[in-house]
Amino acid sequence: MKKLLALLVLVSLVGVVAVAQATLTIYADDTRTPLLRTIGEQFTAATGVAVDVVEFPWNDLRTNFITATQAGEGPDIVIGAHDWLGELVSNGLLEPMDLAGRLSEFDEAARSAFTTGNVLYGMPYGTENLTLIYNKEVVPTAPETWDDVLEIMRAQYDPDLPMYGLAFQNTAGNFYQFFPMLSAAGGYIFGFDENGVYDPCDIGVANAGAVWGAKLYQDMLNEGILPASVDWDTLNALVAGKNVAMVITGPWLLNAIKEAGWDYGICKIPPILGIDGEYHQPKVFTGVQAFMVSSFSENKTLAFDFLLNYIATEEVMAEIAVSGSRIPTFLPALPSTPADLAAFADQAQYGVPMPSIPAMASVWQEGGNALDLINNGTDVASALGQAYNLIRIAVGCE
Amino acid sequence: MRSSSPIALIVKYVILGIVDAVAVWAGVGLVMAANYGLLAMLAIGAGALNVLVLSKRAYPFRYLAPGLAFLFGMVVYPILYTAYVSLTNLQTGNLLSKDQVIQLFEDRYAAAPDQETFTYRAFLDDHESLVVLLIDEITDREWITSEGDPDLVVVDRSDPQFEIDEFGALVGISGLSEVTGLQRYQILSRLETLAFPYGEEYLRLSGLNAFKTFIRRYAFDWETDLLTDLTTGMVYTPIDGTFTADDGTTLEPGYQVWVGGRNFGSLLSNAAMRKDFARVFVWTIVWSLMSVLLSFSVGLGLALLLNDRKLRLRVIYRTLLIVPYVMPVFISALVWRGMFNAQFGIVNRIFQSLFGTTFRWLDDPMLARGVLIFINVWLSFPYMMLISLGALQSIPDQLYEAARVDGAGMFRRFWRVTLPLLMISLAPLLIGSFAFAFNNFTLIYLVTAGRPAVLGAATPAGATDILISWTYRIAFQGGSGNQLGLASAVSILIFAIIATISAIGFRLTKRLEEVYK
Repeated sequence: MKKLLALLVLVSLVGVVAVAQATLTIYADDTRTPLLRTIGEQFTAATGVAVDVVEFPWNDLRTNFITATQAGEGPDIVIGAHDWLGELVSNGLLEPMDLAGRLSEFDEAARSAFTTGNVLYGMPYGTENLTLIYNKEVVPTAPETWDDVLEIMRAQYDPDLPMYGLAFQNTAGNFYQFFPMLSAAGGYIFGFDENGVYDPCDIGVANAGAVWGAKLYQDMLNEGILPASVDWDTLNALVAGKNVAMVITGPWLLNAIKEAGWDYGICKIPPILGIDGEYHQPKVFTGVQAFMVSSFSENKTLAFDFLLNYIATEEVMAEIAVSGSRIPTFLPALPSTPADLAAFADQAQYGVPMPSIPAMASVWQEGGNALDLINNGTDVASALGQAYNLIRIAVGCE
Repeated sequence: MRSSSPIALIVKYVILGIVDAVAVWAGVGLVMAANYGLLAMLAIGAGALNVLVLSKRAYPFRYLAPGLAFLFGMVVYPILYTAYVSLTNLQTGNLLSKDQVIQLFEDRYAAAPDQETFTYRAFLDDHESLVVLLIDEITDREWITSEGDPDLVVVDRSDPQFEIDEFGALVGISGLSEVTGLQRYQILSRLETLAFPYGEEYLRLSGLNAFKTFIRRYAFDWETDLLTDLTTGMVYTPIDGTFTADDGTTLEPGYQVWVGGRNFGSLLSNAAMRKDFARVFVWTIVWSLMSVLLSFSVGLGLALLLNDRKLRLRVIYRTLLIVPYVMPVFISALVWRGMFNAQFGIVNRIFQSLFGTTFRWLDDPMLARGVLIFINVWLSFPYMMLISLGALQSIPDQLYEAARVDGAGMFRRFWRVTLPLLMISLAPLLIGSFAFAFNNFTLIYLVTAGRPAVLGAATPAGATDILISWTYRIAFQGGSGNQLGLASAVSILIFAIIATISAIGFRLTKRLEEVYK
């Protein structure tokens, strides 16, 4: 028995000290994993280094990356959205991205979305933003102003079919989709200070413009022409059954729209009449996605080599962006973007990059709650005012 | 029962040997990862297992071993770990350990002014240690240095260990093998950890083929516990896990530190948080009580009906009534959420056609709570029905006969005979159901995610949030990142509350057992 034990212990100890081959580990989501695996094979053929792409659902990527990296088991490269930047950088999990003099090949706005504290942390590959998609069978020409939109909504409204003129996700927690309404007349999230950096204590979610826009939204709800309680599944159902003429959504819904057989057109969200009697263009959040390198990676040189020489090429960057219905941020890949994706760029000009400072988490939370209260009929000014106060507390201003 | 057969004995010892070997292997891994908590657990577990198998007196307890092991590993250890975390400041910005953070700072290099570039060639000696030859292309100077001895030594070409060919190129070094071809990629991870001192600066790998000069940005003094920024000269002291300078600027990331009872203190002292806690706590109690009482009433009522032997098609009724219990909660909860959708849900369609009004089921706080209780009753009544059916069989018919003879009516019989006897066997199950409903995160999260929001809440606590979903929202959806220390403190509070309620419940059921005696 003792001899058996000793033998087994010796055998296991040898296994523990085994030599490991260099492997590059990448965390990606289901849309991009197949492409990364193909390129990984090319990399392995050229360098002899194995590439292991681990797939996660998009919503689990961030938490898995944080937990694994903290435990020392993290990947070398991870795909992510720029609003994760605040949390990942404040936890010290990202390595500054060295683009080796190829900065000019990447879109400047996308680069700045991934820059914090004057350091670039990601290699951006795609951007996304909300815009208006309309069904040409019902709405032959793109609406010019928000008054046209209201007209269409009133004309199309039929609760029995049901048929609606416009729909967008407006259940509690969809502050992202609610922002265009607030921003048209002057609402904003965080203002900028003199240095052009976000000032988290300058919060504009409850200013006059935001209240105006939210009131307009609430009036549409009360009139009934804008459907309430529209979540992701409901929006998909409305689109699939052609029960809605126009949707304010992002490129992620395009597949469902095509499958439903819409003859769709894409235009920017029409300008809304503001407090001052002028028409203002609603602004939307732009989201940027990029490759990031972990600061705990033991293969940083290999990771940068992989990203710069195998990923940052015209064909690969174009395919990675378009396969996920995003607009490429790699400038040489832009000309090959399909026309419908390129139409998103009209609205993207009026885009605001989502601030990636950690205080943003409280904005989503409290903004979502404010939308919830507004949906339930609470006075708009107090709902937005509560969000304003709570964000201020969460950010820690005075 | 003693295992006397020699084969059984051998098998027993071999299995024990294998388990011990695996435990030792895992232990070695844990020591290398410096995870002493788990190591202690492993040692206790393996030791206990050995005692169980080898000691004659402990041998009868072997059937308890798997259950106890899992109890320890999956219940006791997480509780102890959560208690530990609740006494720290683990949150976004303070996630890593002190060593990891200091390592991160010391590994931060900035490009040196007038950065110099060197190409390199790598060699391996017999002990697999790296030797690097650095070449300054501009001046053609060469240095040699190694992993073990990072000082740069100027290469003297006349030294016999350097093999020079007829063109004057250095083709090799005696005793060393050059790293060429694909093997160069394999050693990159080792090369990038090296930093060779070069005057005031350091030479580090930059890209695949070059070493460049860098300056170190931070230096940490272990004795004084101070971090100095070498470029600006600012000195940072660690306060509460964050490196803070005298003027208040902080560096990120911070690290996890012990804060004692601060999380518990802020829970109880912060007035707005107390209000949220009170509201969520009251709703959790009401939710659990109503769920258990209503589902038990419905389940017991159906069980009494189905227990009547004169009822036909009993089996079909029973099968149909079990359906809510066997459907996965994830599917049924989401379907109910869709059905109660205020605009498009089928429940409102029915109400519209029948009564002409609709209700905002999941948007109004009171209605949302009612809907949640309704869904939970729908999900739980089959379980109550099944256990009631079982318990009803254990009541002897003679008691009913005696009661009927004594002139007791149907209600009297139920109240005096059926219910007390049922309670003896069902009370622990009801307490278990109460504890389950108390922590039923899945249903709340899927149907309403704790919303609708409440005007005046200081933390993410909605109208339908129960303690556990509130904890989740604090931990992962809080305003300033993930506050895991605070959420752990709330978890410990929840544990204390449920443990107390369960203990009281079990005490009470003991008294019920007096009925039989």
